[in-house]
Amino acid sequence: MTFPVKMADSLPSEFDVIVIGTGLPESIFAAACSRSGQRVLHVDSRSYYGGNWASFSFSGLLSWIKEYQENTDVVVESSTWQEQILENEEAIALSRKNKTIQNVEVFCYASQNLHEDIEETGALQKSHASVTSANSAEAVEPNCLPPEPNCLPREDESLSPLSCEVPAEQIPGSDTEIALEVNDAEVTRKREKRSEDKTSEEETTKNTSIAEDTTEQPKKNRITYSQIIKEGRKFNIDLVSKLLYSRGLLIDLLIKSNVSRYAEFKNITRILSFREGIVEQVPCSRADVFNNKQLTVVEKRMLMKFLTFCMEYEEHPEEYKAYENVTFSEFLKTQKLTPNLQYFVLHSIAMTSETTSSTIDGLKATKNFLHCLGRYGNTPFLFPLYGQGELPQCFCRMCAVFGGIYCLRHSIQCLVVDKESGKCKAIIDQFGQRINSKHFLVEDSYFSENTCSHVQYRQISRAVLITDRSVLKPNSDQQISILTVPGEEPETFSVRVIELCSSTMTCMKGTYLVHLTCTSFKTAREDLEPVVQKLFIPYTEMEIESEEVEKPRILWALYFNMRDSSEVGRNCYNDLPPNVYVCSGPDCGLGNDNAVKQAETIFQQIFPSEDFCPPPPNPEDIVLDEDSSHPEASESSVMPKPNSETPKETTSLGNLEESSE
Amino acid sequence: MQAPHKEHLYKLLVIGDLGVGKTSIIKRYVHQNFSSHYRATIGVDFALKVLHWDPETVVRLQLWDIAGQERFGNMTRVYYREAMGAFIVFDVTRPATFEAVAKWKNDLDSKLTLPNGKPVSVVLLANKCDQGKDVLMNNGLKMDQFCKEHGFVGWFETSAKENINIDEASRCLVKHILANECDLMESIEPDIVKPHLASPKVVSCSSCAKS
Repeated sequence: MTFPVKMADSLPSEFDVIVIGTGLPESIFAAACSRSGQRVLHVDSRSYYGGNWASFSFSGLLSWIKEYQENTDVVVESSTWQEQILENEEAIALSRKNKTIQNVEVFCYASQNLHEDIEETGALQKSHASVTSANSAEAVEPNCLPPEPNCLPREDESLSPLSCEVPAEQIPGSDTEIALEVNDAEVTRKREKRSEDKTSEEETTKNTSIAEDTTEQPKKNRITYSQIIKEGRKFNIDLVSKLLYSRGLLIDLLIKSNVSRYAEFKNITRILSFREGIVEQVPCSRADVFNNKQLTVVEKRMLMKFLTFCMEYEEHPEEYKAYENVTFSEFLKTQKLTPNLQYFVLHSIAMTSETTSSTIDGLKATKNFLHCLGRYGNTPFLFPLYGQGELPQCFCRMCAVFGGIYCLRHSIQCLVVDKESGKCKAIIDQFGQRINSKHFLVEDSYFSENTCSHVQYRQISRAVLITDRSVLKPNSDQQISILTVPGEEPETFSVRVIELCSSTMTCMKGTYLVHLTCTSFKTAREDLEPVVQKLFIPYTEMEIESEEVEKPRILWALYFNMRDSSEVGRNCYNDLPPNVYVCSGPDCGLGNDNAVKQAETIFQQIFPSEDFCPPPPNPEDIVLDEDSSHPEASESSVMPKPNSETPKETTSLGNLEESSE
Repeated sequence: MQAPHKEHLYKLLVIGDLGVGKTSIIKRYVHQNFSSHYRATIGVDFALKVLHWDPETVVRLQLWDIAGQERFGNMTRVYYREAMGAFIVFDVTRPATFEAVAKWKNDLDSKLTLPNGKPVSVVLLANKCDQGKDVLMNNGLKMDQFCKEHGFVGWFETSAKENINIDEASRCLVKHILANECDLMESIEPDIVKPHLASPKVVSCSSCAKS
């Protein structure tokens, strides 16, 4: 991020592969090329990795929002490239503006104390100050403590009303007293302020109970906007919301390539369903089914029997052959399943559409879900610590380690095409430098309107919420949940809700980060607000005391539409030279298979005899010990290892590093 | 030899402009060799150095070079994540590389903090000191002042080629990390008794003796 302009002159002008865009498919492709010995130049016009796959800190997201709300034309005065195009050449101009994000809307419900001038801790502007205080051991932020083992799901057997009612308050016990005092002070200050504010109708009625409430109950953790800003670096907010199937292509690739050593994951802990206004946990593993308290014994037996059949449905064609031409939901009605169970299977396990998915689709999806269960945990899904935006960077690191060169904030003005061969031979960058290459991979959003004039895009509707508690009262405060809410109208799509807790390292303690995703029908807000209203209420100054309102409260909300170019075929683009390959932005699906498939397909087209991302040598093999005979790590090693910052039940794939130690 | 009963694993970053000798320093430190023909480490994330710090303590250092991203300072988060310390390197024969030092330091502090929110310990290396004729080094006081202003825990004149001061610089950094880490443990869990922490093996490090 540091020195954009100065060193551009040192960029080589000859590569084998140039990759434009640092999204997941591009990054996987770049890593594969670099790994097989190609000279790779990987550029992105933005200042961050990942394009529409990126994750942002809270302040980073605010800048991103500003960029799209203001819709400013970034007029980079770039040198003219036209004069560099020779007589036997043509140019394909690339787009200078990203048009993939639309309808950005932001709502802040958390109280904004305008008198406080708070900025993000550790933000760039403050870095100097924090450096000078480094040696004087001052100003330890009590709230900046790392997630400790004590923020692991607790075995909180006691169903005391307190622990249930105030999940946001469950700051790990060892959090310093200072932290609690701070919160307490915050509460007091807000209460004082509230009396000056105009009161909402609820508030007037509740006002009497406020004092009682705060004195009788332990301090509550009310999150203000300034706290969110201050703790902004604790957030890693994904633009796309996806999970990894534990036996999906991306997990397999991470393991095979050993890129897994750069990433850590958490298991999704709960599959939820939303039916008749109630959020429930869906039992999906054998243990879940037996431990479930909502299901009757008969239902448990029915569900187990059906799921067992789905695992090996191909061996029992007689069971479903007759229903091949009807929808999966019709098929489910013929099975011995109560409506409740049918709903679970259709929406939460198969996650298929009621109206359009065939019996076979549904069985296949159910089988896949069951197949992925138990590899790493109780649900089929994993989520990367620090957010989905880590994944492209993991592949970029691998590419760089094998010699790939990275330039962010580097735009490409045009592709240069040789008229005679029809092939692309070079790019011209923003500085007018001409860089030759044999192959080019360009992400869809970089093409200009001329190239895309015949392309029909779909849209993805997205919402990001910061809330104060989980949609389903957890018995421990660290739950990661996925919930599918079916579309209400026949023409609308089901909405996928992923709720992340702070131990995923994507939001500050005491908050949840909620991602909503669906295929667009209208604008993101029109598509998603009905679901948001069903599950959440906006934060007001009203007291939590009204416990009948069990819904989590929204502190902050963002809506936007993102272009979905995943269904666009290569020949939809005008006049692409044969050695210019296209990959898409994120798709709307839950998994990442599409990105892996694109990267692998293009790689195999160009390098048919090369292995796709074979494992690299392990750096741990290159140990030089002071004296060769030292015993293994003793049991009593006490200090945190580099990864001990993360909570314990983090899933580390393959354990490659450990095994080599 | 007595079995060490403490082992520490630290990720250290080696940062600095192109061609200041980052990789040479790592190679010298870890592999005890120096090659002037060295181009780039292909396919290796980090080099591992094992230090027998004292009879009871083993320190394993992962030294992370910055790979192909260095030209533009665009390192991935994977690179920074969970690092406990860093060396920032410049080339005494090229003043421009010294001018970049403050930028690297700011960049580092903006992207990486210890779990307690403090910046990580960073040691400044004035590399290629064997090539003499430098502009900056003849005023050690100025360098001390610079380090204080920019939050470096110390600085060393080093030479990967002649193997000067590299071990010393590393010891200085490790000392600070060990000391910080004790703070860290205390500030995080004041009330928790850790039986295996009982042995009063606290590394004292108030200042760092330069050679």
